Amino acid sequence: MIIDMQSSEVPRLNMSSWEIGESRYLPGMEIKKLGKEKFVVYIGPQHPGSGHMRIIIKVDGDVIVEADPDLGYVHRTMEKLSEGRAYIKIIPLVERMAILDACNATLPYVEAVEKLLGLEAPERAKYLRVALCEINRIASHLYGFGIFGVFLGHSTMYMWGFGDREILVELAEKLTGARLTHTYPIFGGVRRDAPQNFTDNLRKAIRYLRKRLEDYRRMFLDNPVIRKRLEGVGIVSKRAATDLGLVGPNLRASGVEYDVRAVEPYEAYDEFDFEIPVFEEGDSLARAWVRVEEIKQSLRILEQVADKLDKTKGQQIMHDRFWAKVPPLYKKVFEAEGRVKLMPLFAILRVPKGRAFARTEAGRGEITYYIESDGKDKPYRVRIVSPSYRNAIMFKYAIPGHRVADLPAIYGSFDYFPPEADR
Amino acid sequence: MMPAKFVHKKTPKIGVLSSIGKNASALVLGLKYFFEPNRFTLMYPREYIVLDKRYRGFIVLIKNKCIGCESCARVCPTGAMKMVKFEVPNPKNPEKKKIVKYPTINHQRCVYCGFCVDICPTEALYHVPVHDVVYFNLADMIQYVESFQKEPVSPTAAEGAVPVKYIFDPERGLVKVRIKEGEKQ
Ligand code: SF4
Ligand code: SF4
Repeated sequence: MIIDMQSSEVPRLNMSSWEIGESRYLPGMEIKKLGKEKFVVYIGPQHPGSGHMRIIIKVDGDVIVEADPDLGYVHRTMEKLSEGRAYIKIIPLVERMAILDACNATLPYVEAVEKLLGLEAPERAKYLRVALCEINRIASHLYGFGIFGVFLGHSTMYMWGFGDREILVELAEKLTGARLTHTYPIFGGVRRDAPQNFTDNLRKAIRYLRKRLEDYRRMFLDNPVIRKRLEGVGIVSKRAATDLGLVGPNLRASGVEYDVRAVEPYEAYDEFDFEIPVFEEGDSLARAWVRVEEIKQSLRILEQVADKLDKTKGQQIMHDRFWAKVPPLYKKVFEAEGRVKLMPLFAILRVPKGRAFARTEAGRGEITYYIESDGKDKPYRVRIVSPSYRNAIMFKYAIPGHRVADLPAIYGSFDYFPPEADR
Repeated sequence: MMPAKFVHKKTPKIGVLSSIGKNASALVLGLKYFFEPNRFTLMYPREYIVLDKRYRGFIVLIKNKCIGCESCARVCPTGAMKMVKFEVPNPKNPEKKKIVKYPTINHQRCVYCGFCVDICPTEALYHVPVHDVVYFNLADMIQYVESFQKEPVSPTAAEGAVPVKYIFDPERGLVKVRIKEGEKQ
């Protein structure tokens, strides 16, 4: 087909219809006029931040008078899909909720099933789980920082956050064999042992990241331009945070002492010496600071994990029920490659009748699983409550009263992740 | 047992005067990284990473080892692995045919979770540390027994890109190093 360039109609925007009225569109932004100087602005759902969601705001001039978070654009029916799958197949499914926080998102599921099966992971497997959880937590915070930076027009922070996250992703790849969707914890233990030089690499990465956090402070947190945009913006009071049920760093930035790792230690968290930072102010700046302080503490945990891993070298990483009677080939593979081979019964694993509940502290807050089993090889019900879903309500209360220009600062500071909220 | 402690902190306050200093400090830091950048970008089509042996890449079948037990197809969470039946001559009775089953992989669906590799009782499946194979049509992505046994080749490696690997460094985080001839790990 030949197109006649002269005669063919080139669609042009009719600028006269771009008057404020029914038909003014900007990409991802639809505006409706309500009255003089009063508009409804639809922000999203084409990826306003780290995923698809929409905030519908009403503005008077450029002051936001009402904000309404509109979720569900990346809903993948994970809970329903889980009802028709064998237990093991659900792990790679729910992992896709928050791929940058995969271990934290799947661990409570694995723990809940382990509770029903009545088994507990061996010691070394617990340390390996904690190692990957903390690697994921730091990676998730750095990702959040990167997005936050680019929201505020600070592209240096974006590059640094994503660049330094690569180190953690690389560590996770060395441990599990995959960069993001690790599928690492499994009923009874973990799937792979740490490679030879893992703890050395981990220590090197910790030293580097400690140094980098100082750079972050100078470049981003103490930068007067950034501080002006964050200080006193999007304040969430202690009362509001508890009443609305916020979780994770957002809750701790409002002065509330709550962290699953402290109130109900899981895996090996009660063996490590670390602090949980709590900030009083509740503004966007405090939410940024609490994450930086948390990264420092995660590095502290990782340091202790590295020592523990060195001490428990060569120990079993799978529960006896799935490891005591394995054929010699399985043990040979484990010794040679550190890979745990699964018994064929994993594919049709029957879980005793019962209900189980488990929770962990993911990068963005508490994540909860409730599993009901009727004794078959598929769960009767899997209920997931993810941290971002619980934090999303805050947009309704933290945004009004601010100017439109403050919205990215507030949205970014909550580190909201739509795929995790929508499940 | 030493449960984690909560520690209350406050965001540091900065006054007008110190804010000038902080601004300058951020600029100086920016300049420092301008002159001494810490880059480790992979120049992808011209360079490629030589992945670890442990990397969960493409999956290859060793037909001789496969006993047709179906475990791999049963555990696959995405339905990428399916069993296909073949008729082969029965060695005992040449009149009759024998039916054997071999797995088939659909790379459109596979998420490289590695469950099939780990569950195979005879180690008939293994991962190759390759992740960048390109297919020109969707049908090629379904690999039956014949093509399933061939190890895929990374097109970047085949076209003579420079092999690199990343090593951890306490000063620079990750450092990209070129792998010399004959030094493949
Ligand atoms: S790697 Fe996972 S998704 Fe791919 S074929 Fe094997 S079990 Fe299925
Ligand atoms: S699990 Fe292994 S032996 Fe069994 S059918 Fe699959 S490839 Fe063959």
